[in-house]
Amino acid sequence: MPMPGQFFMVGLPGRLDPLLKRPFGLFRHEDGLLSFMYRVRGKGTLIMSGLVPGDTVEILGPLGNHYPLPEGKYRIRKPLLVAGGTGVASLLPLLRELKKNSIFVYGGRNRDELLCIDEVRGLAGEFIAATQDGSEGVRGTAVDVVTDLIRGRDKDGFLLYACGPAGMLKSLQGLGLQGYCAMEENMACGTGVCLGCAVKTSTGYKRACTEGPVFDINEVVFERF
Amino acid sequence: MSGSELNLSVNIGQKLPLKNPVMTASGTCGYGAEVARFYEPARLGALVLKGISLTPWPGNPCPRITETACGMINSIGLQNVGLKAFIKEKLPVAKALGSPIIANILGGSAGEYVKIARALEEAGVDGIELNVSCPNVKKGGIAFGLDLKSFTKLIKAVRKDISGPAIIVKLSPGAQPIEAFARAAQEEGADAVSLINTVPAMAIDADSRRPLIRNIVGGLSGPAIKPIALWLVYKTSKAVTIPVIGIGGIRTGRDAIEFILAGASAVQVGTASFVDPAAPVRVLEGIEGYMREKGIKDISALVGGLVTGCS
Repeated sequence: MPMPGQFFMVGLPGRLDPLLKRPFGLFRHEDGLLSFMYRVRGKGTLIMSGLVPGDTVEILGPLGNHYPLPEGKYRIRKPLLVAGGTGVASLLPLLRELKKNSIFVYGGRNRDELLCIDEVRGLAGEFIAATQDGSEGVRGTAVDVVTDLIRGRDKDGFLLYACGPAGMLKSLQGLGLQGYCAMEENMACGTGVCLGCAVKTSTGYKRACTEGPVFDINEVVFERF
Repeated sequence: MSGSELNLSVNIGQKLPLKNPVMTASGTCGYGAEVARFYEPARLGALVLKGISLTPWPGNPCPRITETACGMINSIGLQNVGLKAFIKEKLPVAKALGSPIIANILGGSAGEYVKIARALEEAGVDGIELNVSCPNVKKGGIAFGLDLKSFTKLIKAVRKDISGPAIIVKLSPGAQPIEAFARAAQEEGADAVSLINTVPAMAIDADSRRPLIRNIVGGLSGPAIKPIALWLVYKTSKAVTIPVIGIGGIRTGRDAIEFILAGASAVQVGTASFVDPAAPVRVLEGIEGYMREKGIKDISALVGGLVTGCS
């Protein structure tokens, strides 16, 4: 049974170009049907967008670890889910578990970028959208929203779950909350052997595919920003 | 399906008999245990494990890999647990998988190679592949693989001290002329040569003007390099009598057969295992299927069987 945060390697059979499978976070798992959300970004996703019912894709998974639910000493904390852009795909399965016991902050450039916004709004206990052009929710970034939200409140009252661009994750890390983030890195195998998807942490490189994709946000060393 | 009526066995020198010619390529099966959930490692001729250095290496910063047309570029930087942890934690697990174990080793000096090789002989490996062709580390490695004099000295030094495990020398496609390196390996007592390692390469994003690999340069692998690898295996096999192990873009049984026809006695499957973790087994089954289809009982009948000239 796939858990929220886990991913699958998805590939196009019999092709040499693109050759490798690509990792996609599981978006939905219902009645034996797996759903993935993706944005057309390159050759592979362009071909995928042209597939019709009956076409075949190859999948390998579920792979990687998952978002830990707020249990034990974290049980009393309020889950604070922060999605940037398509990061929503990874957090929606978690939101479906947490339902009303959650705050969901969803940021993007504009309204069109906030996919599945109605489902998120309907499920979350408290929902705040942020767009850079102000076309949906507040004008600003998801990080701005979180900064306002926690101002003057006990940080230990929250448990952060974040998925989105590395710049957003790094800024969230700076807010001093405890919690988790899902990391994206170029991946070849997804099974722990190629060592391509290294994530730098305070205790050395770890594989996003095997020790991740979910990491303690305060252990990650964001070096590209 | 079993290959019992077929003879796929090959010998890597006198020391390393393999039940079939298919191995994993170093760096594509971890330390062995990682692939056991996808296939039974004992089905393969041998497992060639991730390269080992004397001390643990952290590896290079990301991005470490990028895909290119029909291939990929990597610059992992030989991230590994180091000799001590390898012998204590990884090797016992790998040996229990039931497949002959070949360790791939890399040092910054000839003395380091010797030290690692000695420790591995004592720990009990079936073969040692000398990595003198990794393009992604600053010290050692390819420095030996491109300079005939230090290459020869290195193999002499390792051979002098190692009598148990088979010694395989992994050649770089940049070693020129490759025949001279292969002959030197043979003269210094190597049991086999394996080739090719990845081809130094780069990829650039025209929008950001940045290299797509953090280290700027990496090593190209996958189907894109197969024709180059075939040519180098063909040339090398004509220059030496020791077995040649073919590597480079092999993903099907027919790919492996092509290398064998070009003169390889055995093959390693690398990048294909990233696409399909069970690729080495599928290559093996493909070879068996080809032999049945063509009525060939013994794989040795195919080695170097390239037909040239007019028919």
